[in-house]
Amino acid sequence: MKKFLGVLVGIAVSWWLVSFGQVVEIEFNTLFHEADAKAMENIVNLFQSLHPEIKVRLVQGRWAQYYAELRLSVIAGNPPQLGICHVNRLVEMVDYLTPLDASPVGNLLELGGIDPALFPEATWKAGQMGGHQYLIPLDTHGWGLWYNKDIFAAAGLDPDKPPQTYDEFVAACEAIKKAGYYAFHPAEDALPRKLRRAWEIFYYQMGGELFDPAFTHATFNNEKGLKALEFLVNIFNAYGWNVVGGNGYAQFTAGKLGMLFAGNWFYPTVKQSGVNFGYAPVPNLFGIPYTWGASHQLCIPLQPAGTPREVYLAAMKLARFITENAYLWTMTGGHIAANSKALEDPRLLTSDYWKESGHILNDMIQKGLVRFPINHPRGSELEKAIETYIELAVIGQISPAEALAKAEAECNRILQGG
Amino acid sequence: MAKYSFILTNTGLLLLSALWAFPSLWVALTAFKPNSDIFSIPITFFPTKPTFEHFIRLFTKWPFNRWLLNSLFLAGFVTVVSLIACTLAAFSFARLSWRGRDTLFLIILASMLLPMEVSIVPLYFMMVQFKLFNTIYGAALPLIPLPIGVFLLRQFFLNIPRDLEDAAKIDGCSSFGVLWRIIIPNSLPALSAYGIYIFNYAWNEFLWSLIVLRDPKKVTLPVGLRLVQGAFELDYGLINAAAFLASLPSLLVFLILRQRLIRGITLSSGIKG
Amino acid sequence: MGGRKETPFLPPNVLPMKHLLSKRFRQEIEGLLFVFPYLLLWGTFVLWPLGYGVYLSLFDWHPIRGSKFVGFANYIALFKDVRFLNALSNSFKFAAMVVPLVLIVAFLFALLLWGWKGNRHLSSFAQAVFFFPYLLTVSVIAITWRWLLDPDFGFVTFIFKYFRIPAPTFLSDPFWALPAVALATVWWLSGYRMVVFQAALGDIPQDLFEVAILDGAHLNQILFRVILPLMKPAILFSLVLTTISAFRTFGQVLMMTEGGPGRATEVLALYIYWNAFEYFRIGRAAAAGVVMLFFTLLLTLLGVKILGLRSELY
Repeated sequence: MKKFLGVLVGIAVSWWLVSFGQVVEIEFNTLFHEADAKAMENIVNLFQSLHPEIKVRLVQGRWAQYYAELRLSVIAGNPPQLGICHVNRLVEMVDYLTPLDASPVGNLLELGGIDPALFPEATWKAGQMGGHQYLIPLDTHGWGLWYNKDIFAAAGLDPDKPPQTYDEFVAACEAIKKAGYYAFHPAEDALPRKLRRAWEIFYYQMGGELFDPAFTHATFNNEKGLKALEFLVNIFNAYGWNVVGGNGYAQFTAGKLGMLFAGNWFYPTVKQSGVNFGYAPVPNLFGIPYTWGASHQLCIPLQPAGTPREVYLAAMKLARFITENAYLWTMTGGHIAANSKALEDPRLLTSDYWKESGHILNDMIQKGLVRFPINHPRGSELEKAIETYIELAVIGQISPAEALAKAEAECNRILQGG
Repeated sequence: MAKYSFILTNTGLLLLSALWAFPSLWVALTAFKPNSDIFSIPITFFPTKPTFEHFIRLFTKWPFNRWLLNSLFLAGFVTVVSLIACTLAAFSFARLSWRGRDTLFLIILASMLLPMEVSIVPLYFMMVQFKLFNTIYGAALPLIPLPIGVFLLRQFFLNIPRDLEDAAKIDGCSSFGVLWRIIIPNSLPALSAYGIYIFNYAWNEFLWSLIVLRDPKKVTLPVGLRLVQGAFELDYGLINAAAFLASLPSLLVFLILRQRLIRGITLSSGIKG
Repeated sequence: MGGRKETPFLPPNVLPMKHLLSKRFRQEIEGLLFVFPYLLLWGTFVLWPLGYGVYLSLFDWHPIRGSKFVGFANYIALFKDVRFLNALSNSFKFAAMVVPLVLIVAFLFALLLWGWKGNRHLSSFAQAVFFFPYLLTVSVIAITWRWLLDPDFGFVTFIFKYFRIPAPTFLSDPFWALPAVALATVWWLSGYRMVVFQAALGDIPQDLFEVAILDGAHLNQILFRVILPLMKPAILFSLVLTTISAFRTFGQVLMMTEGGPGRATEVLALYIYWNAFEYFRIGRAAAAGVVMLFFTLLLTLLGVKILGLRSELY
């Protein structure tokens, strides 16, 4: 009996000695799905093959519930070591994230060799709060103008000169409409949040702001907001450029839509559909050619006390690897990498995606024309309030004026703590 | 007059059945139609060229067979564990005598009225804490202690005549022996009724599986269908093909176990029927 | 349900110190032992989350920053929240549509099949058809009906167009969206209740009918004086079940309309889901859950009282 126990103990000790300090395990939890998830999986697999001493457990899935999950996992004491945070969610999530410059084991940015100069200044700064850096930019993504070159030709328009001013745009729409196609769809598949983004584009272009800087009240129920919403509603109604309930994605891939506002993630679908497409910056309709966009950033959720240094460093290693190899990310997912090193990679620069659409989006980003969603702890509620009424206005249930008034009332209620 | 109503009602019933069955039939028809038929105006009723393309695309784009297996495992696991737990508990409530027995039973019965919505956040938090989040066990565990199981089985056990047991007890049989050798063999209708009921319940569970399972490879069939619908909103062929396939297991089980299913329902409603 | 005292018996080999522990105690342990597995699962996954949920509803929950006990503030805020009141009213509207329809449809089908004088095979087939949708999962129901009601290619829309009636866009129409989801739900749930009613009908002794007919009773009188009163337990059972189901509706709404258009179909369960998992307002969501529990119980008790069925429950 004693001998048996002795052998057991011996085995246990040797196992412990062998595994001690050898492999660090970390979990990387993302909200990516489908094409994005595949792209990230490829990057992580590449990392894994080059760094066998770090074992990465990759968990991906729908974005619904992601942030709630992240917070609950921090509270429960078993958070992932690396996560994703949209730049506009920082305010909500800040209590649950590790400040990278002041983590329990030191300045992770220095230790991990992350150089802020490699990232666009605005995107880098967006990951800061209260004097600390919480996020490392992964990408910026946004909406651009996709157009059907064949329809342009059929409508008598120049397929290599997409409209860039209001007059050009209206003329193009009318020509396409006359040629018997859907002229324009401003919002991908017309889901409520997409309709809201379209409205925001028009509104921002006019120079409008949604809320005051201190977020005490809504500032969009005004002449500009109304003009923007009326324009949006008219696209589907009075102007006849599209129909209520029309799905821009479907129309475009079926070759029935002349112009579409959609995100860079539309690229693989468009390529597959075989449509002869062109890509252009969002036209300057109302003053400043802003477009809607967002930014994925990497974050390290708050880890339980006593988490060893190696774990933090492993997470940073993975983060750095991802940003440096984000050319893969851009090529497959279409989101424009934030790390400028990745943007110089020849594999990216010679890819179809870059040549056909990516570089134009990158241009818009570099020029600071991409507007991120509002940054407020109750941002998602505010956005939901606005899009509810915008949707009702578009389908004709209420007037644009009424929609803005109701949205304003609800936003104010939310901002006042309701 | 009698002849009139006979014709009317026979065809009438047939028509009524056809009408009621139509939604499912329409899904089935759509699943096999090429896109040109699906998107044609006016509607083409029958597929002009029946095709399997939607099914093929479904399987290449989504881990449908994983979903099937996940659902199967979930339902199976829940059924087995629940049968065991509920049988033991029902036996105790029906046959054993101990203080607090009836009060406890009433409390459990009352919990039948409980909507899960009040508990989802604490449950979810529990799963995260026990690292059962995003696992099939996390999805399964809250589904197991269904109060109706205890109620149903206890009801049935109470109605089993006691002579066999009394005889066994005189011979010195233990409680567990009574359960194992007498009660269970005589309760097979109720056990299978409940087994089928809870299998169906777990198979169809949506809300909890939606919340707890995030990895597309780990979700169950109902949640998987949602993923399909959400991703390709206009790919009706694909979506209907998925819905059709998802209905097949239920159809199969129904055709085989129809009598038991119906009996199970009448039993579980507490009606002696 | 009252306990019949068991004749205590002696398990010969179980407890060696049987003479030291009283029979009563041993019985207690034994009883609890059998219930233990179930109790463990039930306590952990049903009772404790409920309690914790109620507890959470009394806080402004921010574990990292520090939760604050706010007592009933969450509840007060709920009833001041237009969105919550809308969700509550939608749930009531939905239940008001679904519950009577399900019961009536199920009853009519049961009556039809029970009194069927025609082809037996046909009635058996009909029963199968009526029942089958119940076995389908909620996702399939949602997909089926969403496709039927599609404004461009749906079959229902086609029927309307065929008869030159202007078709509402159902799921995109704030007026029709909730009834449309209710219709799908009725199609889904009626089959189960039908079977319950069939069993209850079958239970009614034949002689009662013979006596009633001999007494010269009309169909109406037979229905209301004989059939319905004797079916009370079945009706109660179905009423309770359907009310709870209707109030808890989540899957169909999420997959058919996501609560839209606007907030027209946002029901209580959906409100809770958004608040908990989108906005992370845990205290608020928990409070809404408790409110849901409260109304479910209230409606059930009301139903029991109205139908005078308290005796049936016990």
